[in-house]
Amino acid sequence: MRTNNTLPRRSRRPSWPTALPVVLTALLASCGAPGAQSPLSDTPTSVSTSIGDAPVTLEVLVSTPDVALYEELGEAFQDKHPNVTVQVTGEDFNSLTTNVPRLISGTEVPDLVRLASFGNLVEDRLLTNLDPYAEAYGWTEWPQSQFASTRVDDDGRQRGTGHLYGAGPGFGLTGMYYNKSLAAQIGMTEPPATLDAFEESLEKAKDAGLLPLMVNGKDGGLAYPLQNLQMNYAGSTQVVQDWNYNKPGANIDTPALVDAATTLQSWSEEGYLPADVNSIDQTQAPARFAEGEGVFFPSGNWQAPTLQDAGGGEIGFFLFPPEETGDPFTAMTAPGVLAIPTKSSQSDVAAAFLDFIQTDTGARQSTLDLLGLPPAGPSDASLPDSEPGSLVSGTVESFQLLLESDGLVDFMSNSTASMHANTLIPQTQLLVAGKTSPAEFSAAVQKDYEDEAEK
Amino acid sequence: MYGVFVLYPLGQSVQFSFYEWDGIGPATPAGLDNWRAIFTEPELLGSVIHAFVLIFFYTVLPVGLGLVAASLIRELRVGTFNTTARVVLFIPQVLPPVAAGIAWTWMFSTDGLVNQALGAVGLESLTRAWLGDFTFALPAVGVIGFWLSFGFCTVLLLSGIGKIDPSLYEAARLDGAGRVAEFFAVTLPGLRGEIAVCATIGTIAALASFDVVQIATQGGPGYQTMVPGVEIYRLTFLEQRIGQASALAVLLAALVLLVIWPIQRLGRHE
Repeated sequence: MRTNNTLPRRSRRPSWPTALPVVLTALLASCGAPGAQSPLSDTPTSVSTSIGDAPVTLEVLVSTPDVALYEELGEAFQDKHPNVTVQVTGEDFNSLTTNVPRLISGTEVPDLVRLASFGNLVEDRLLTNLDPYAEAYGWTEWPQSQFASTRVDDDGRQRGTGHLYGAGPGFGLTGMYYNKSLAAQIGMTEPPATLDAFEESLEKAKDAGLLPLMVNGKDGGLAYPLQNLQMNYAGSTQVVQDWNYNKPGANIDTPALVDAATTLQSWSEEGYLPADVNSIDQTQAPARFAEGEGVFFPSGNWQAPTLQDAGGGEIGFFLFPPEETGDPFTAMTAPGVLAIPTKSSQSDVAAAFLDFIQTDTGARQSTLDLLGLPPAGPSDASLPDSEPGSLVSGTVESFQLLLESDGLVDFMSNSTASMHANTLIPQTQLLVAGKTSPAEFSAAVQKDYEDEAEK
Repeated sequence: MYGVFVLYPLGQSVQFSFYEWDGIGPATPAGLDNWRAIFTEPELLGSVIHAFVLIFFYTVLPVGLGLVAASLIRELRVGTFNTTARVVLFIPQVLPPVAAGIAWTWMFSTDGLVNQALGAVGLESLTRAWLGDFTFALPAVGVIGFWLSFGFCTVLLLSGIGKIDPSLYEAARLDGAGRVAEFFAVTLPGLRGEIAVCATIGTIAALASFDVVQIATQGGPGYQTMVPGVEIYRLTFLEQRIGQASALAVLLAALVLLVIWPIQRLGRHE
């Protein structure tokens, strides 16, 4: 039978006396600290707003759903500058996010790249400081709050101050979608004006046998109402904004966050959330909501074009209601950031494209039509058209309302690279499942934040 | 070649584990900090424990049930049914785990096939969002792993049975052994080598699991299904903590070696 077993077994085993030197050699071969030793400079020495006549190719790397928009913007740009070829490449958002550091530190880098967060990119001098371009194109004359989240301090960590490293065509914005016919069933004819009124609506919906809130708890949808509640209870956005921007000493473990967590947990206990909230992702939630499951759905304006089509005019949008009527509105917002890698050889053309997508009337219209994102830009720029009374126009009006009340706040998820995946998603899941207390929740969020700030 | 493609990267990982490095900028020596963190951050240690729970689903179950299935199929006469059984059992093995993860995410969803099946037999009370349930998420992930490795084990064990001398079965029968006694006296000892291979591959798949978890649960709900593979991925690509990721990866490699070593011994022993 199995004759191979009669072979001398010893010969097939690696013997340690012979293997050891090989391992040691390998270890020695890899000595010396890894990584670059002398960072590049990230500030262009000379900038020009002219892009010349020589044929150039502008390589733009964005996430897959944005490709259609950037192709349209690219064509419009080419019409204006016939010597430029805009080449758009799409990559899955998650793999783009994870690969950007390697992509732009390599040898063949794109000229514009879509970023989710700055991470260590500024510290490692991989992104172009846009201050000279902002000066040259007059962006410095525009409302500056739109650039706050893309300014990074010299330490490479604190945002909201320092140099400009990114700009984008439009802004993401969160609020509350509602199903108009279900709302009518519970006697709600217009969006609730205060948080109390909103909570009353939740209770009425529950009593009427409807699901009050559709939330995608699997991938972070619970963080939206949580942050809105926090800002309401704090009565100011300062604490969370400082925290998001990594201001030294910032601390979110405050009574406002504990209270917000308490409210969110009580919504879960009352049965306001779907029973399977922790397994619903951001694809299922809008689909189920559009099919009539849930009276309210906290999410962002990026869902508006889809929900407008799928909901057949049944879906409306309002900003998360404040504590008292007349209090300023607050919402989470972030620009779809594009940055110019330091190693790009076409930074002048890339900057011209950035200016174009923020100022050109047609480009601003495309951004709203295709992605649902309202553009900011100069304060006197004309607003793009949207069908009056439509869902998209509702989100645009909300954005204008926010700009006026200065209620634009970044997402807590964007405070550190892993806050979203490693802290907010699992901790909000634990919270609504009753597996952690509001106080523990609040402390855990701050602890993870500090742990990562130390790294 | 082995040195360049295996030992050198391995050596580098060991070296990186003593540095704090974001993968691009300058690295600073970190001493034993990264190693200490593994044992002090409950999240990291928890992920290692979850991986060991998965060994049950990736190894114990497929080998156990694979033995039963293989013994049963052996008794079938060679023919269409026998071939069909082998093919059906082996299909999961040719699917990429990512595809399996996506398919099972639908099956386990609130109105998915699993809950529909439970409802059809009157067990509505048991239906739940399996992958979003704090108690059942890890076993549900384990079921996906079991499904992936069961067919491979069965087919490997079947081929092992084919190599056992038929005269041994005849002898056992003549001695009056029933099916069960025959299984323990002839089949099980004859399959020692194959069982060791199944157990080794299953254990490595369990400890190093990444794709299924990343697709099906992303470590959630809470931290219930976090495994070292996903943790290493996040540390590397999300947090850019190459040093910490390397430390966990080296520990994982050491753990895998430590666990499969006795299995290998068992397989060789005559």
